[in-house]
Amino acid sequence: MATIETLLQFLLIITTLVIIFSKNNLKIIIFFSASSLITASLYFFNKAPDVALAEVAIGSAITPLIFLMAITRQKDFVVINRTEDDFFNKSLSRTGDGYQFLEKFTEHYQLKLSIYNKKLANGIGVLRSGDVDLTIQMCPSTKKYLLKGKESNILMNKLEQMALEEPLIEILKVRGEISD
Amino acid sequence: MNPILTFIVVLLGIYGLCNSRNLIKSIICLNIVQTSVILLFLNFANFSGSGIPIITGNTGEMTDPLPQALMITAIVIGAAITALSLMICVKIFHYYGTLNWHELIRMED
Repeated sequence: MATIETLLQFLLIITTLVIIFSKNNLKIIIFFSASSLITASLYFFNKAPDVALAEVAIGSAITPLIFLMAITRQKDFVVINRTEDDFFNKSLSRTGDGYQFLEKFTEHYQLKLSIYNKKLANGIGVLRSGDVDLTIQMCPSTKKYLLKGKESNILMNKLEQMALEEPLIEILKVRGEISD
Repeated sequence: MNPILTFIVVLLGIYGLCNSRNLIKSIICLNIVQTSVILLFLNFANFSGSGIPIITGNTGEMTDPLPQALMITAIVIGAAITALSLMICVKIFHYYGTLNWHELIRMED
């Protein structure tokens, strides 16, 4: 029995080293779940089966689940579209130029683009008003598309550089929260 | 079981907490420190020759059940702390656009 315990302890050290020296978030989470299972079996060898049960349920199942949910929420790039035409829409027949521009930007940073149109946006607006990254509006005088984003966000600098090549798009940086 | 090997895991977790640049990785390292400290507590409560603390007819000597009860509480509180810190993490990403410690500290100045 003592040899199994020592083996598990060395395995725990190895998984911790893998977690420390890897850069991929998903890999880190899976190895954390594995290390939780190893610790749970060590709890059992220390005559504490009740703590081992709690660790298997919470430490190796619920906590990695929370991490995965947080990572998917973090990669969401939320855009609210307030224009009427299909410049920023994607349909089966054709993809708008603005949609292609935003898709190029989000693929560069490995984010997930989700565009909400005006009617849908009113529904989710109350829940996630702090999470909105961009709002799209039509400028009435110059007929250009105004993309409003937060000034504090450093992704906006890259977006501004990319928008120099597009004649129809203009970037506007807002201090603080984005409002209507 | 050797407590020194468990203590090495605690030290590795603290090293990862200090060294990592990713906010999510820091939270994972905090979790590793927590589980290994729990393991240390249970190891010190378990002295040799004792049994699992379940009372039957002919119970001999058994381990102290008090640290075990407290450690279950610690696990549950740790999960709640993790959820709260990850929520703050997501908010930070949507405000600053990055999760790198160095860039975040530089932007605050």
